[in-house]
Amino acid sequence: MMADTPQPAPDGTDDGERQRFVLGDTGFDEVPKKYRRFYRKWEGPGDVLAPNEVLCPVCKVVIRSTRELRPGDRVYCMPCMSRLVVMRTDAGTLEARVAY
Amino acid sequence: MSLHDERLPGVEIHDLDPEAFYEQVHSFEFWFESVEGYLSGLSWGHREQTVEQEMSDEEREQLVGVLCNYCVGETAALETSSGLIAIAPNRASKVFLATQVADEGRHLEVFLHRLGDLGVGEAEVERRASPSLLRFKKRLLELVDSRDWEAAIFGQNVILESLEFAVFRNHSRDADPVTAEVLEGVIKDERRHIGFGENELGRCLASAPQTRARLGQVRKELDHYVLDTLEETARHLGFPRDEQDEVGRLYRESVGRLGIA
Repeated sequence: MMADTPQPAPDGTDDGERQRFVLGDTGFDEVPKKYRRFYRKWEGPGDVLAPNEVLCPVCKVVIRSTRELRPGDRVYCMPCMSRLVVMRTDAGTLEARVAY
Repeated sequence: MSLHDERLPGVEIHDLDPEAFYEQVHSFEFWFESVEGYLSGLSWGHREQTVEQEMSDEEREQLVGVLCNYCVGETAALETSSGLIAIAPNRASKVFLATQVADEGRHLEVFLHRLGDLGVGEAEVERRASPSLLRFKKRLLELVDSRDWEAAIFGQNVILESLEFAVFRNHSRDADPVTAEVLEGVIKDERRHIGFGENELGRCLASAPQTRARLGQVRKELDHYVLDTLEETARHLGFPRDEQDEVGRLYRESVGRLGIA
């Protein structure tokens, strides 16, 4: 798997201090080619998520973004066709909740 | 919202408008480009060069028993999803279910082929399958015949599919190499099916919360068939207690997110 490359946030964007990422190929093959870099296989409980990643609670695939994720962000899990909202847990970690 | 992010090269999928996302993932085009990624080059669900592992008679018998249950589950899903097309409330759901019919037909075919590899013919399937699973299948088809969209989607895409997804995932970790490859391809299809069920019902329940109580009754009725089948499959596969609990947990999580007690 190729690691994501963090990029400085461009000036004048409303993303402010958010870190940006150029997404690399992860070997994920369950969605059309142009979307594959937005997902990767979850390796189980020892898998550490990057600031631009969140786990889909429905199908257990890791969802990736070109931006650092923050509570309130909307993400899509294409493998299971779910729309999700990023939330912060009591433990301080980010998790995705399904938005029906 | 434009698909193209000017600041970084390529498409930012999460910027898509929800309607555009919904349209795209319910299309045949999306299905075809997705399955092409993981099924092309396979023969009966696995790579031709994958070497068959030697099995003892006991291991072979256990695998045959499990595959017979898988075939009944896939037949139930094939017949249910095809029956549901006629009563689906909109075009996107009808098209999605048409792709699911193709997936379920393929699953049945690859599992039957795997049984054939092990010297077992199709006529053996129902005789060896779990009686609870056969009763579940019969009841599921009755829900389709009664044109009860929510209950049938709940029975198929939430209860049956989440159970299959969890069992296949755990089985694939310890299966012989050929069966593991067959299961991995099926699991990738199942992600779409469980997602469709949960999201479709989630939308229905948001607009008609009173449906939740009725689905709770359906769950009560079907739960014991599912849990009996799970227990039998876990016994065949020799799942340790913690793995069996994990399989049950995935099913309960899905039902829990929908608030169906």
